[in-house]
Amino acid sequence: MTPPGDGDGGDLDALAAEYVLGTLTASAAAEVERAIAAGDAPLRDAVAAWRRRLAPLAALAPAREPPPGLWDRIEAALPPPLARIADAPPPPRPRRVRWPAFAAAAGGWGLAAGLALVLAGVLSRPPPGPALVTMMVPGREAPAWFVEAHPGGELRLVSVNGRPPPDPARVPQLWALPPGGADPVSLGVIPSAGLLTLPPGAVQPREGTLMEITSEPIGGSPTGRPTGPVLFIGKLHPPLRSLSGALNLAHAPAGTLYAVRVFGPGVSRPR
Amino acid sequence: MHRSASAPRPPDPEEAPTHLPTLLAVACAGDPAALRAVYQTQARRLFGIAEAVLRDADAAADALQDAFLRMADGAERFDRARGLAAADWLAEVVRRSALDLARRRGREEPLADAAPSGAGDVAPDTLARVAAHAEGRRVLECLDALPEGQRRCVLLAHAHGLSHAQVAERVGVPPGTAKAWIRRGLIRLKDCLG
Repeated sequence: MTPPGDGDGGDLDALAAEYVLGTLTASAAAEVERAIAAGDAPLRDAVAAWRRRLAPLAALAPAREPPPGLWDRIEAALPPPLARIADAPPPPRPRRVRWPAFAAAAGGWGLAAGLALVLAGVLSRPPPGPALVTMMVPGREAPAWFVEAHPGGELRLVSVNGRPPPDPARVPQLWALPPGGADPVSLGVIPSAGLLTLPPGAVQPREGTLMEITSEPIGGSPTGRPTGPVLFIGKLHPPLRSLSGALNLAHAPAGTLYAVRVFGPGVSRPR
Repeated sequence: MHRSASAPRPPDPEEAPTHLPTLLAVACAGDPAALRAVYQTQARRLFGIAEAVLRDADAAADALQDAFLRMADGAERFDRARGLAAADWLAEVVRRSALDLARRRGREEPLADAAPSGAGDVAPDTLARVAAHAEGRRVLECLDALPEGQRRCVLLAHAHGLSHAQVAERVGVPPGTAKAWIRRGLIRLKDCLG
């Protein structure tokens, strides 16, 4: 790194520092952003380094309650999903896939249109390199889960939009059923925190693997097979090319990232 | 609202039930459910950041909305590889929206509001919040090693999103002096932090 104050390197670093600190004027800040967008790597790296240095100072601001209704305002201003997909670079030779489980579920939630829109972008083949699939909202208040699975085996389950009301006498248990498999394999009871991470080896995620969450007695299913009703269900699927193209995960750990929206309730397990 | 120095450390967003890096990646890919989950878990912290810069609840709400919309339309992309923790990245996006708005609202003018955070520059409990984490303590140690004028200017600029002119007015020195102190303070801060 060029010593501070030593010619261009120091000027560049000082510029990056003041940009991150926030003291630059509007025109100077815009100039920094234009230069980075145009590919000025030294400036970009200097800004990134200053962001890391000054990040702890974000805690200077006390947390404050935002005005009620702010999320509704944001949501109303969101671009429609169609625009987001249409704006993304088109995938090469996309092949559409069927997803009967989701189609059935979508009917129950009355959101076939929005969901079909997303599914239309799903490719049968994952793009090279790491990527991520995303599914659209089943409903504003509907609880949902993301399952993020690496082919290497690590699998992470994340709750979205809160969790279903806890039944003190029951626990949610996660299962995986590979395509063609006969019996779901238990991946364990989901902790109340709503986050479950499984080490490699617990399951071998594959395209089409059915993920489901059932309601089981405390401690999990006594039989090793699902005994209670299916609360959430969905299939692992390769990423949306159109959306993953917008993700900058080029430096993420190797391996394709699968994700699936698992939702319900009231969805029966498809044959 | 202010947390005392002895308050327990707030939950680490990285360990929160909603795994923030995953949610951010999905939210920035255009998923409203993930974006909403980010909002639900982070809005209080982020609104505080925007309000500290703008000192106006309506403007802070506008800044927060701008930040979330930029994430939704892909203008901001969370990249796990760029070395910024998810919570810090999010704070940075919101702070940038707030600073942009502050500039559009004529920030280069002298301060219209007298004392953003009471009588002092930066309240002691504010510094205690920063000191709750090891990285924060390190930054504070390095700030404390600066000459008082430099330390004050850098902290004021960050804590309240002030321009050179506003910092100068607040500290009672000519704008050129505030600018030079900030620049020298940042250079020494970098030497200290590495």
